[in-house]
Amino acid sequence: MNNLNLAWRNLWRNRRRTMITSASIFFAVFFALVMRSIQLGSYDHMYKNVIESYTGYIQVQHKDFWDEKIVDNTFAYDRQLERQLLEDENVEASIPRFESFALASNGPQTKGVLVMGVDPEKERYLSKVTDKMVKYRLTPEALEKIKQDSNLPEKVKELAILFENSAYTNNSRMQLDLGIDDKLASEIMPSIESYTAFQNASIHMGEPGVWVGDKLSQYLQLGIGDTIVLISQGYHATTAAGKYEIKGIVKLPLPDIDNKIVYLPLDICQELYNAEGNLTSLALAVSNNRDKTIAETVQRISKLVSEEHKVMEWREMNEVMVSQMDADDKGGQIMLGILYLVIAFGVFGTVLMLTAERKREFGVLVAIGMQKKKLASIMTLEMLLIGLLGILSGALVASVLILYGVEHPIVFKGETAKMFEEYGMEPKMAFWTIGTYYISQILIVALMVLLAIGYPIRKIFGMNLVNALRA
Amino acid sequence: MKTSTKLLTLLLLWGMTLPMLGQELSPQEIVRKADEKFNGEKTSISQMAMTIVRPTWERTVELKSWSSGREYSLTLITAPAKDKGQSFLKRDNEMWSWNPTIDRLIKLPPSMMSQGWMGSDYTNDDILKESSVVNDYDHEIIGEELIEDRLCYKIKMVAKEDAAVIWGFQIRWIDKKDFLFLKSELYDEDGYLIRTELGKEIKSMGGRLIPSLLEIIPEEEEGQLTIVKIKEIEFNTPIKDSFFSQQNMKRVR
Repeated sequence: MNNLNLAWRNLWRNRRRTMITSASIFFAVFFALVMRSIQLGSYDHMYKNVIESYTGYIQVQHKDFWDEKIVDNTFAYDRQLERQLLEDENVEASIPRFESFALASNGPQTKGVLVMGVDPEKERYLSKVTDKMVKYRLTPEALEKIKQDSNLPEKVKELAILFENSAYTNNSRMQLDLGIDDKLASEIMPSIESYTAFQNASIHMGEPGVWVGDKLSQYLQLGIGDTIVLISQGYHATTAAGKYEIKGIVKLPLPDIDNKIVYLPLDICQELYNAEGNLTSLALAVSNNRDKTIAETVQRISKLVSEEHKVMEWREMNEVMVSQMDADDKGGQIMLGILYLVIAFGVFGTVLMLTAERKREFGVLVAIGMQKKKLASIMTLEMLLIGLLGILSGALVASVLILYGVEHPIVFKGETAKMFEEYGMEPKMAFWTIGTYYISQILIVALMVLLAIGYPIRKIFGMNLVNALRA
Repeated sequence: MKTSTKLLTLLLLWGMTLPMLGQELSPQEIVRKADEKFNGEKTSISQMAMTIVRPTWERTVELKSWSSGREYSLTLITAPAKDKGQSFLKRDNEMWSWNPTIDRLIKLPPSMMSQGWMGSDYTNDDILKESSVVNDYDHEIIGEELIEDRLCYKIKMVAKEDAAVIWGFQIRWIDKKDFLFLKSELYDEDGYLIRTELGKEIKSMGGRLIPSLLEIIPEEEEGQLTIVKIKEIEFNTPIKDSFFSQQNMKRVR
């Protein structure tokens, strides 16, 4: 009978013990993977939010713009350069932008705002701002109608009051906030949608008109059709002042930007700042956003642009966020370390018990003539099998959960969602799909098992036969 | 005969004492005279061109300005087209701006006081708080120098302890003959030179001799300069105080 066979039989001789030991490894792998997945997923989600609604992956700028973001540091929109950039294999589209600050006011309300001159058509390739237009809003009038609708459950009405003035870009988020489950949704959502429907219009190149962020519109108490006044300093210290009709309200997933953004058609914005034909940045939409590919693309593009320009990568443009995430990542790794420590002691504890339990058995085996070496190798095989069982089942169950999570991110609703938003975060927990992080997590757990094996092996070789038989 | 000799001696004596008197002028007196030359008239109406020079670009703004005493002034931008129609009103220590493109009258908040007016090196504070060079400083003659071929008093003016001025001290060069400020150096409290102002192209305008070109050179910014050229100026045309009103900011041409 070979060692493996013996080990296998030994495992199932005492099923409960095997189960407990492998369960501790199972949980180690499971928690480590899920935790890591959520962590990486949230970073990715946050990066995507910022990159895709704001900076883009790569930007071409005037060389001084990043250090001093003034309209004097802009560059002429060069169509020939743009054509050259578009020829690059990884560049899908170029999105011209004119970005600056202004003081916005409506009557006595005033606030410093971020002014973005965009080409609404081209933004489809990157920020997809048209998708972020507010479609529903729980205005006081809408609330009144909801309250009077006898078909609606009380719970929905209560939640609606809690979310007064909230804006939604799609009906599913509103459904979540109002705590309506899918079964009920088909019945009552249509009427809620009709009460809360929000009229929003588009902005177009050449037509004066603006979109404002939802939070900003609430602060300045502006609605569709109202006029916003912008005042700032323009190109070469001219006065930039203009008043524009609000055509639409957008809700961006980044509350920090949502509360200060004003979108203008690019040419209108250039006119406002007296910088006709100039851009602050030319953002590039890429087809492959892997770090390495982006770095290569940046290198290729840097050769195309003149000395007056500078090519920036998203990491440089979002330095604060990247370092925040890095710090958070380190914190997460410390948490994982603590998790490993706890689990390592758990595994070690079970092994310790297992060894003590089988002390007599080992003694008998050696007494009837089994070599200690053979016994040790069987023991090792047993432990490895337990480890393998735990790791495989842990990875399997975690993968199922993670794959489900990738498709269905955890979206918080009700008051928790409101709390998240107050902290400036999107009430959403995303998962990161199965990836290379699996390897390191599994290796660490495997290492823990290997370390734990050391104990029974030492016990076997250092066994005092008489004592063992008496145990 | 007797009376005529008396008169003659008197005249002679007077003639002799006149230059002596000039020499005995106290530094405070010199500054007062120069200040009166500069701001002494009751009212003025002027047309100016202000050129803002920066290392990579320059820009000229044309403006028309009405003022009455130290208290009131109204300034209208007449060119370039994009800025035309903006007006600024100063009444005592307050300043408003009117912008026709947005129909907004804005009272300049204290936080904007240290910013350059129309992007120039002239701050809003300079316009508002023109402190009295006579009363707020202690004066001392520290020499004589030639500026633009004119012999000048060089006067050091140290701000009085309780005076609300932003400069620590100033050195001014005042023309001995015509009492014109030809050069000023403005230092902060720590004795660093912050700004130099030059008066050039002395001309007779509106019946008075004045430097028709002013240069403001901030010392900390390399290659920056603001040049104000007085194109036309008339003095003592009666202007009612009611001219300097918010309503008139929107109407004035």
